[in-house]
Amino acid sequence: METTELIEGKDISVERTGEEERKLEFKDALCASCGLCEKICPVSAIEVTPAGAMVRTEQDVSKIDIDENKCVLCGMCSCICPFEALDLKIGGESIKDMEEYPSLLKSAKISEDTCIYCKACETACPQDAITIARQLPERAKLVSGEIEIDKETCVDCGICEEMCPADAITLEHKFPSSDDPTVSSDIIVDKDKCVYCLVCKKACPVDAIKAVCRICSYGDYDINPEDSEIVGSSYIDDELCVNCGWCQEICPVDAAEVTKPFEGTLTLNQDLCQGCETCVMACPCNVLSFPQSTEPGKKPEKLHKDEKYCIYCGACQKACPVGAIDVERTKINSTPVRSKSWQKAFDSVKTK
Amino acid sequence: MEILYIKVKVSVINTHGVIMPKHIVSGLRYLAAVELRKKGYTQREIAERLVMDRSTVSHYLNGRNISWNSIEIADVIRNLCPRDFSILTYALVKDKEKTRNIVKICSIRKYECNVKNTCIACGICVDVCFMSAIVLEDLKAQIDPNWCCGCILCGEQCPTNSIEIKEVEDNGDNRTY
Repeated sequence: METTELIEGKDISVERTGEEERKLEFKDALCASCGLCEKICPVSAIEVTPAGAMVRTEQDVSKIDIDENKCVLCGMCSCICPFEALDLKIGGESIKDMEEYPSLLKSAKISEDTCIYCKACETACPQDAITIARQLPERAKLVSGEIEIDKETCVDCGICEEMCPADAITLEHKFPSSDDPTVSSDIIVDKDKCVYCLVCKKACPVDAIKAVCRICSYGDYDINPEDSEIVGSSYIDDELCVNCGWCQEICPVDAAEVTKPFEGTLTLNQDLCQGCETCVMACPCNVLSFPQSTEPGKKPEKLHKDEKYCIYCGACQKACPVGAIDVERTKINSTPVRSKSWQKAFDSVKTK
Repeated sequence: MEILYIKVKVSVINTHGVIMPKHIVSGLRYLAAVELRKKGYTQREIAERLVMDRSTVSHYLNGRNISWNSIEIADVIRNLCPRDFSILTYALVKDKEKTRNIVKICSIRKYECNVKNTCIACGICVDVCFMSAIVLEDLKAQIDPNWCCGCILCGEQCPTNSIEIKEVEDNGDNRTY
């Protein structure tokens, strides 16, 4: 039996060989320095680097330090980590996939049936965990009309080309010669681009353009509804996702559903807060912000929170240098905890 | 720890003249064979259990092809505290399964094993147990008292002091081999 530690960049792995092979892996990029691992470790093997320093400066050290002489590879840190930053594997299998180990009930799903691919969630996701791929319908199939330019009347002024909002008109400009004293050799309308808005017709100084929009006269009569369908797909990177609920809250059609790992309360002490912004930088869920003053002389609240997005990980509390933030966890949503000592350990990270 | 084992080994050897480790292993096997014979095992069964040929078992049981010195040293080792017995046997045999067998057969004492609820299922005890007597079940270590040799290596390494091993009086031989 031997325990060894391997540090690769900022990632750490602690391994023990013996009857069963155990390997604890830490991925620094996923860690939010919330300190839950440090709190639950039964042998005090984990130390979290001061979060303030981590988020405010570009430190070249790992967010946590694991003492391989103390670590017994029990896996409690891996089971409580809400960010998938720690993972214990026994015989190559993650304990997160083993029934006897408790795992946090957390998930984020986007229903493909309901999603309209508006990308609001993709924009709002504080971890860039969401990718929405969408295929837009062909523009030509959503419009219907006719356009014709009378080349005899046309004076090649190029006004229609300049004004066309869809860039559908091209004038083949040329320098006139004595044998062909014209300024243009041709004028072309790209019917795939034209939306029959009739701007060209109205702007033409010599009334050379005849155009009509059929939708204006007959409504959607000759548009096939299937042609206007938007197809797409949504993808949530489970490793990056912190289950904050931004997607669920911002979705206009309620297509996103999020289950959060912890329940609790987040209390800010506005009197103590010095406005240093460390918590805002530390929060992985974009819960905190500094409101801008709306009118001169009006002082907004120092620090604004919206608990809708909070997962009560405690990263802000850990980062705050003046103790102005208090995070209380009242409930841990997990699969059943089978062992008394594990239950006790899970309970120990509740309430402060 | 390794250095300590070697020192013990050397001192045993020195008091008994020139004897190679493999001779002591033979002595241990002899003791195990005799124990099994006492339990009524046939020579064939003994050979199977100790992974030896039957003829060697026969020689051993008839006191041939083995020096009394080796047997004497083996007997000293067997009567050491359970921890030294298992560690020394492993140092000599260099095979966990064979060590497990010999220690099990030659052990005289019986133990009561209790794992407290403070166990966090780190599995260190599973890794250190020479006897493979420990498994994890529902995030708690379970020790099979039939296989426990009383070495308490598990208890020494346990980060939460959750293991209690007590020697109990053996009322007749009810061990299951």
